[in-house]
Amino acid sequence: MDDDGLLDRVKRGDRQAFSHLYALYQSAIYRYAAHMCGAAAADDVVQDTFVAMLRQPARFDPARGTILSYLLGIARHHVTKRLASGGHESPLDVDGPPGDGGGVVDPIAADDTPLDVLSREQLVAQLRDAIQSLPPAYREAIVLCELQELDYATAAAIMSCPIGTVRSRLHRAKALLTAKLAAIHRAPLVVTRPTR
Amino acid sequence: MKDFQSADHVLADGLRAIADEESGLSASPVVEANVMAAFSDVVRARRRRTRRIVSALGVAAVAVAVAVGVSKVRSRNSGASGLQTSDLTLQTSREVTTAFMPLAYSGVPIADGHVVRMEVPRASLVSFGLLPADIVDTVDGARGGTVIADVIVGDDGLARAVRFVRRAVRKELQR
Repeated sequence: MDDDGLLDRVKRGDRQAFSHLYALYQSAIYRYAAHMCGAAAADDVVQDTFVAMLRQPARFDPARGTILSYLLGIARHHVTKRLASGGHESPLDVDGPPGDGGGVVDPIAADDTPLDVLSREQLVAQLRDAIQSLPPAYREAIVLCELQELDYATAAAIMSCPIGTVRSRLHRAKALLTAKLAAIHRAPLVVTRPTR
Repeated sequence: MKDFQSADHVLADGLRAIADEESGLSASPVVEANVMAAFSDVVRARRRRTRRIVSALGVAAVAVAVAVGVSKVRSRNSGASGLQTSDLTLQTSREVTTAFMPLAYSGVPIADGHVVRMEVPRASLVSFGLLPADIVDTVDGARGGTVIADVIVGDDGLARAVRFVRRAVRKELQR
């Protein structure tokens, strides 16, 4: 069943359809919210998002995107409010100074990096920390485009910005992540592999 | 000999690994229970509202049917006495009306009908969501008063449309 048909059934009070809709999309919203405002608040964001959708189901316009992008748009609104009330992070729609690690990215040249001995788990853990330390606007681009694998147009619709802005934020976010990982090991981020 | 992998690839691999690891994450079961409860609340509230509207429409239909009956009886009995009354006073009225707004039975085909003027409890119109408070004419000005309405009633007794009337009546004694 397509998004529109599913939401039509929800509007008619079909409990099974709503349960199906929740099962389909709650994980994506939870993951987005967990990255943006922490796992503790993610549950609340998921709940607020679906309750908001229930109250105004007619606001979904299939011509403007999928249910997922619609729900993530609602979730973003709640995340923005939480970030604003938290006062420790800049709002999502501001491309402010990138903060620590936001300087020039170390050039990739040397081959004596410690990353070649890093286990996959270590890399993932360090990358997680690096993502969390990104300014919210850049983190959001990484979460939507890389971790949720949404296309630029969908991400732009969710982030309420032009596609070019998504591209530039994503590019900048990747550069910051590279720099942060390199800084951890005090060496440019280069991995060596033996040839077969 | 070493094969160099770019930082972009390392980053892409790391991001993909995180995406894979997180694909199974989900909100707590408590959230699902709360959301499903909210869904039930919304559905119940919607059904209650629908029932209220349907019952209000039923009351309105009965009121209109009674008004039609009264109107027909009066028109039969009026005759000469009506003329006498009009000799005594000249009634000038200026009215401001809204457009006719469709009611629940507006879709039912109509062969003939009447426009019936009636006073409708303001409270019942509020329940329709059709009450523009600044346009309607109230008898006592209070929220619990009445409003004047013209109702189009089909020959089958079903109300098709309604409009609200603001009326300023001036009576002059005719010489």
